[in-house]
Amino acid sequence: MATFVDRYPEEASVVKATLVVSFLSLGIGALFGLVQALHRTGYLRILDSVDYYTVLTGHGVLLALVFTIFFLMGLFTWAVVQSLERPLPDIRLSWAWVGLTTTGAVFAAVAILAGLVPSIDMSADVLYTFYAPLMGHPLFYIGLAMFIVGTWLAGADWFLAYRDWRGDNPDERIPLQTFMVLTTMLMWYLATLGVAVSTVFFLIPWSFGWVETVNPLLTRTLFWFFGHPVVYFWLMPAYMLWYTVLPKLAGGRLFSDPLARVVFVLFLLLSTPVGIHHQYLDPGIAEGFKFIAMTNTMFLLLPSLLTAFTVVASIEHGARQRGGEGYIKWLGALPWRDPAFTGMALAGAMFAAGGFSGMINAGMNINYLIHNTLWVPGHFHLTVGTAVALTMMAGSYWLVPQLTGKRLYSRPIGLLQVVLWFVGMVLMSNAMHRGGLAGIPRRTAEPQYQNFEFSTMLGSVEEIQAGIALGGTLLFVSAVLFLFNILLSSIEDPIENPVDDSLPAPLSGASGSPVVLDNLRLWTAIAVVLVILAYTLPLAGIVGDAGVWGDVPGVPVWVSGNLDAALAALPEVIA
Amino acid sequence: MSIEPKTESAVREDVPDRPRGYVVGSAPDSIEREIGHDEFDPVGTLVLILGYFVILAVMWVFMYFVEFLGRGLTVVG
Repeated sequence: MATFVDRYPEEASVVKATLVVSFLSLGIGALFGLVQALHRTGYLRILDSVDYYTVLTGHGVLLALVFTIFFLMGLFTWAVVQSLERPLPDIRLSWAWVGLTTTGAVFAAVAILAGLVPSIDMSADVLYTFYAPLMGHPLFYIGLAMFIVGTWLAGADWFLAYRDWRGDNPDERIPLQTFMVLTTMLMWYLATLGVAVSTVFFLIPWSFGWVETVNPLLTRTLFWFFGHPVVYFWLMPAYMLWYTVLPKLAGGRLFSDPLARVVFVLFLLLSTPVGIHHQYLDPGIAEGFKFIAMTNTMFLLLPSLLTAFTVVASIEHGARQRGGEGYIKWLGALPWRDPAFTGMALAGAMFAAGGFSGMINAGMNINYLIHNTLWVPGHFHLTVGTAVALTMMAGSYWLVPQLTGKRLYSRPIGLLQVVLWFVGMVLMSNAMHRGGLAGIPRRTAEPQYQNFEFSTMLGSVEEIQAGIALGGTLLFVSAVLFLFNILLSSIEDPIENPVDDSLPAPLSGASGSPVVLDNLRLWTAIAVVLVILAYTLPLAGIVGDAGVWGDVPGVPVWVSGNLDAALAALPEVIA
Repeated sequence: MSIEPKTESAVREDVPDRPRGYVVGSAPDSIEREIGHDEFDPVGTLVLILGYFVILAVMWVFMYFVEFLGRGLTVVG
């Protein structure tokens, strides 16, 4: 039984190249995560606190952007090729986007890591949220721009493959995995417009010194125009694995192909016009626009809840085919010894918990309670840090043998690894959420204040810190086990049947569903209209207030100009 | 290979050739019975999702106490 590498060796090499970059980033990013977890809890401090931002930036960029998106590019390449059952149109184009994205990622990483070497006059301590007024070295922004353009080319590669397939199959429904790739990429093209404009037109000229000022709120808004949809760019590969691979691993079949298509269409429509929900506390954006963003965000719960139903039902189908009975007892019939299944199932369970804290973040009122506290990293370590990352690692146990023709080195180590990740994240994320409710800040090496004590609703701050340190350590051990297992798998001898790579047909296929679901032009047009409605007036207001380049008097100038009046008013204020 | 519809026999016919007991993704080897679309009633899914909604409701009540009763109002007043 030939597997992917036997049928499409060149495409398998492309996928392997993206996964190598992805997993290297995972290793470095995980090490930085361990350093942070031990540093800010005070258990082990190997760096000065002034270097904390460098480590934090490296952790965020390498994991949230490089690890996830390189894995996505590999997975989507595999998905398009295997679901269309044809090679990519021009392998040189494929290697071109691999080269461009890799070079861009290396540039960005070098600019960040140079911050740890004092003798090199270069740093990019700008966090994952790279907007003004924090400024990085130009190499960082140039690397990001190359990376973004590389992802656009990757999308073009997949659309060209689809066009060729469509030419030969004019009346067929788009194969489900290719449909998922195309809708995700349409969302990505739309969402990256914001960050591309911010990076190319503002941040690169500003970092080179060609322009003296930029409008921070404008770069911030353009960042979040991309900065929230990118969440779905991480999440969609995980969804693809949950919808198309997880049911098979459970021994079942996808419950409904049309429902899966509806979910991906909804993400295309709803992902982008929501970014302002990251800016509830920003001055300069009217409350009404924030309210619209909140409403749009709450709509996003719909595809998530549809997914919860469809994916769980598909797993249940597998359990019942394996002899499972009862209301709850069927869970015991699932293949819990399979690391690919268990990892993805645990990731899905954590995503359900992340959905709760996400609703808190999205609510305009209650967001004020947790904004800029440790709650927020607690939330996204459940979503991107577990739902996405754990699914990608678990999926690799099933995917990598198809790309190498070699079996997984150790299934028990894989099982231990995914369970360790789950346990580590339960400890760390739980502690972060509760720390956030107590008001402990995020993004700082020194979260404690003098003469101030955080009061917790449950437990103590010391116990929260222990949870973060222990959880972070388990997560690092888990990442090392994963890389160890994949590395040893790659040097195994090839075997004839390294993996069962067949994907069964859905219980309810696409043939009976409305054809309009496959009308990508229509959905894209509606998505564009929604973005225009959500963003035109806020952006016009931001530019109208402070100009495109932010050429308005700054706050210190105003204070200086009114110093006498401020001093005169001071006794009254104090009284 | 494609996820698009195949006949049931096409999906199942290669099962005996697979190595057993080690390969990741070998769950179909232990399938005891075929359940089609019409015989499948996802009642277990309903139970799990209802459980999730109960947890959500409890957590929202917890947040209500944290936000409004634990520390006073942070938004109004």
